[in-house]
Amino acid sequence: MSKSVIIGGMIAALLALLPLLFIARARVVRSDRTRIHLIQDMDNQPKFKAQSSNPLFADRRAMRPRVLGTVAREQLNEDTRLYLGMSNGEFVPTNPLPITEALLKRGQERYDIFCAACHGLAGYGDGMVAIRADELQEGTWTPPTSYHNDLMREREDGHLFNTITNGIRNMAAYGPQIPAQDRWAIVAYIRALQRSQNAKLEDVPEELRASLR
Amino acid sequence: MNHFVFPKWSNFAAPALVIIALIVPGYALSVVYYGGSPRTTDVGYEPAQPVEYSHALHVGKLGIDCRYCHTTVESSAQASIPPTQTCMNCHKQIRAESRKLLPMKQSHATGMPIEWIRVHDLPDYVYFNHSAHVTRGVSCVSCHGRVDKMQVVYQKETLSMAWCLDCHRRPEKHLREQEFVTQLDWTPGEDPLTYGLRIRERNNINPSTDCSTCHR
Repeated sequence: MSKSVIIGGMIAALLALLPLLFIARARVVRSDRTRIHLIQDMDNQPKFKAQSSNPLFADRRAMRPRVLGTVAREQLNEDTRLYLGMSNGEFVPTNPLPITEALLKRGQERYDIFCAACHGLAGYGDGMVAIRADELQEGTWTPPTSYHNDLMREREDGHLFNTITNGIRNMAAYGPQIPAQDRWAIVAYIRALQRSQNAKLEDVPEELRASLR
Repeated sequence: MNHFVFPKWSNFAAPALVIIALIVPGYALSVVYYGGSPRTTDVGYEPAQPVEYSHALHVGKLGIDCRYCHTTVESSAQASIPPTQTCMNCHKQIRAESRKLLPMKQSHATGMPIEWIRVHDLPDYVYFNHSAHVTRGVSCVSCHGRVDKMQVVYQKETLSMAWCLDCHRRPEKHLREQEFVTQLDWTPGEDPLTYGLRIRERNNINPSTDCSTCHR
């Protein structure tokens, strides 16, 4: 067999390995290059999806914010006790929602999501973000308040609700992030936290007292 | 007359052709199969984002729940990229002067959204619903991987239709109690399949594989 055929065959075989090598590389290496899209189908349609951009508007948002001065159906929120925690200009003393185990469980879950990062799981103001702020020695940082003092224990439920909704000092307003019902659930759970850290033996049902010792 | 005689190597031509005929189709098939597979073309996509936000720090180290930022994941189809205000909840004070946070501060001052680059992008004719999955006990980790370990988010799974159907046919592999859906490192502490099957039976979870479930 002529030498050139053998060499040609070997070069072809080596070149044929290249695509396989590229494929193997693409399967193990992460890359910020746009994905290869061999068959387009109708994968990318000229339509606007949630949170996509639309160059027609100055802020480039496809989703339009509410027009000022308008109210969406069922969002009038005219019950000031439920949506502002106030009645006749005063904070409501107690939670407008019935306190059930389900509400407390919901409150615990929401508290752990939204509040525990700063206020800590037990409410002493020792959450991971607060610890991080201390580590970084942030000058403007006001440490989160502990719930376990007389001042906080005597606050009206509506006052706590108002603070969650509108924020205070450092703390941002959580009204936009947490629906009103969940904010009340959190208030109920904070009350449970406060009792848990300030309880006497007499507060525990008699039949359960033995299990504490 | 000598050059009319077949050269000696032509004796190998027939077997060589047979070998080539066997190798070439196999080679072509594997290039198309592996090269076109979403594991090659899609998995590992890791775009550089406009802000160097690290999930590894915020979720992994600080333990912030997924739902602190992705607030609508339990109630709507979209998990939602948070508004800049959510960043400002903490960064108004913490690391407020950091250069890395400049795009965020600009966005907050001007009201122009940060244009994050989408990592997990389904075809536009697929209507995936986050709340339907999360409230039934499919964890974030099943589709997004260990985001709590990612400095930069990348695509972990193929998001192909075969991959979707695999779970729609046998969801027990990915089911857990709803309270653990955002705990990415959670394990059942027993055989995951038995555990998943129990949850599946108790909650009567039978995902549809009809076309119109996802394509409408």
